[in-house]
Amino acid sequence: MSLLELKHIYKIYGELHALDDVNLKVEKGEWVSIMGPSGSGKSTMMNIIGCMDKPSKGEVLLDGVDIARESGKNLTTIRRDKIGLIFQQFHLVNYLNALENVMLAQYYHSIPDEKEALEALDRVGLADRAKHLPSQLSGGEQQRVCVARALINHPEIILADEPTGNLDDANEETVVDLFHKLHDEGTTLIVVTHDPEVAEVAQRTVVLRNGKIHKETVNTNFTGKIRFRD
Amino acid sequence: MKKRKMFLRMITASLMRRRSRMLVAFLAIAIGATILSGLMTIYFDVPRQMGAQFRNYGANMIFTPTGEDFTNEDLESGLSHIKSSDLVGAAPYRYETVRIHEQPIMAAGTSMEDVKKTSPYWLVEGEWPAAAGEVMVGQGVAESLQLKQGDTVAIRYTEETEEGAEEEAADNEIDYKVTAVLSTGGSEEDYVYMNMEDLEELTGLAGSIDLAEVSISSGADQLNSYMEQINSEVPSVDARLVKRVTASETTVLSKLQALVLLVTVIVLALTMICVATTMTAVVAERRKEIGLRKAIGASDKSIVTEFMGEGMMLGGLGGIVGVFLGFAFAQTISKHVFSSSIIFRPGLVPLTIAASILVTGIACLSPIRSATKVDPALVLKGE
Ligand SMILES: Nc1ncnc2c1ncn2[C@@H]1O[C@H](COP(=O)(O)OP(=O)(O)O)[C@@H](O)[C@H]1O
Ligand SMILES: [Mg+2]
Repeated sequence: MSLLELKHIYKIYGELHALDDVNLKVEKGEWVSIMGPSGSGKSTMMNIIGCMDKPSKGEVLLDGVDIARESGKNLTTIRRDKIGLIFQQFHLVNYLNALENVMLAQYYHSIPDEKEALEALDRVGLADRAKHLPSQLSGGEQQRVCVARALINHPEIILADEPTGNLDDANEETVVDLFHKLHDEGTTLIVVTHDPEVAEVAQRTVVLRNGKIHKETVNTNFTGKIRFRD
Repeated sequence: MKKRKMFLRMITASLMRRRSRMLVAFLAIAIGATILSGLMTIYFDVPRQMGAQFRNYGANMIFTPTGEDFTNEDLESGLSHIKSSDLVGAAPYRYETVRIHEQPIMAAGTSMEDVKKTSPYWLVEGEWPAAAGEVMVGQGVAESLQLKQGDTVAIRYTEETEEGAEEEAADNEIDYKVTAVLSTGGSEEDYVYMNMEDLEELTGLAGSIDLAEVSISSGADQLNSYMEQINSEVPSVDARLVKRVTASETTVLSKLQALVLLVTVIVLALTMICVATTMTAVVAERRKEIGLRKAIGASDKSIVTEFMGEGMMLGGLGGIVGVFLGFAFAQTISKHVFSSSIIFRPGLVPLTIAASILVTGIACLSPIRSATKVDPALVLKGE
């Protein structure tokens, strides 16, 4: 059984089919890139997979459970236990410092553990920035805090919606590097990106257009490493 | 780390690191609490203060003896010169030093029914002494001897004897029941009051009184002519006039208290509106953060708890500040209006803080409901 399976998913806003009969399987431990022009339904799909939205029609099987049929309360629990989210706009709580932002995810998940949260920050190379507020961190550093927060509860799937969209090359490389490590540890990754360089480091690339899957390519020489300026 | 610790860390961070945002709500609560605690202090102190203001309301003439002996007969002959329709009441007083727990206290024997007429401003908490063996103690006595309504108190009278006197000095102790505590805002609070018969039984002295307070309802001219008439025709009585206020003290008092209560309620309502408005703005401003919290796993219940926690902490802090500012405020008013200082009532501290927390909590209900409605998906689409 696949970890995630979308079966005939529709998301309809009035006349607009934001998702139009999408079928997709993601295996445990896989690294998938989602590409497509703006408005093609990438975020809509991520919101559905991330249990933040429900499809108009279709089944979404996560670990064999159809999350399209779950109540809002159960969705919160599933999201908390199984999913780690990373966004383009590095959403952090602006009055909590880096460490507290990571601990927030622990707080909702189970029990805050300062030591573990510090280790997560250390993994993204920010141990010395633990007490900084988001406003005192650069964009790249903020995104790395988001990564630390996403991985702190050991989610089965990490969903990243244009995680490198606002980052410079150096920070992009750091973030992709972290994805690589997570992948090596067996975490399933679904990464939305506009950047072909980021997309092609994944095992598979799914291209959306007008709410439909337009193309799927498998990266045969998958390395998980981004190749810059070579 | 415990969840509760993280919770406290979050809400304090939200309040402290967003101080400028929370300032308006905090000020509203602090001002509300200040006025609440100030007005409540005044509310409870007004009867005492007013008693002092209206102390001359009852009696407007005082009879004191000119010579040694002054009896009820002298009082009666003085009163006979006053038209019975003008006479409101006349209360005789006899004062003796007694001992309670070895402390010298002034005891006054009088006629309670007459005192009710001549001193209507007396604030009697409990039942006026009626039967034999019942006494009323002044607030000051009650405080220093820790007496309260219902207590039994042993009062001792020792006759003062000259040295070398032949006969044995009277020494008598009787148990009395405290039926009431008296507040007047004046020196009466340091006395023990009992019926004349009780004092006579205790001291073994009968017949004479020290002074009488007389309440007469008539104009100033008539009052003066009464005084002159009594002074010239009853040689044993020295009649003097005392000023009094003519307004009805009780109605003024209850109207004033009602006004204070009304203002308090209005201020609390205004505080609530102000806090509700601020919190609504705060929730709107933090929609993104609320969505984010939900996206990383916060349930509706956690969102409610967090915002309620912030609101209540704010309410508590505002309440603490308000309690003390309120006392200062009441003190200033009291100094200006009544020219006397006010009593700090510790009971108002928890009351004010609890009221601030409650008002803030209620004010937060509707903003928090809208916070739970924030959709994590919409917020994260980069709205
Ligand atoms: N809540 C909504 N109401 C109406 N239309 C929406 C809503 N959310 C998204 N859409 C529309 O659905 C389409 C897909 O949006 P989205 O998934 O955000 O695209 P992408 O992330 O690929 O740029 C867009 O045309 C967008 O305008
Ligand atoms: Mg998008």
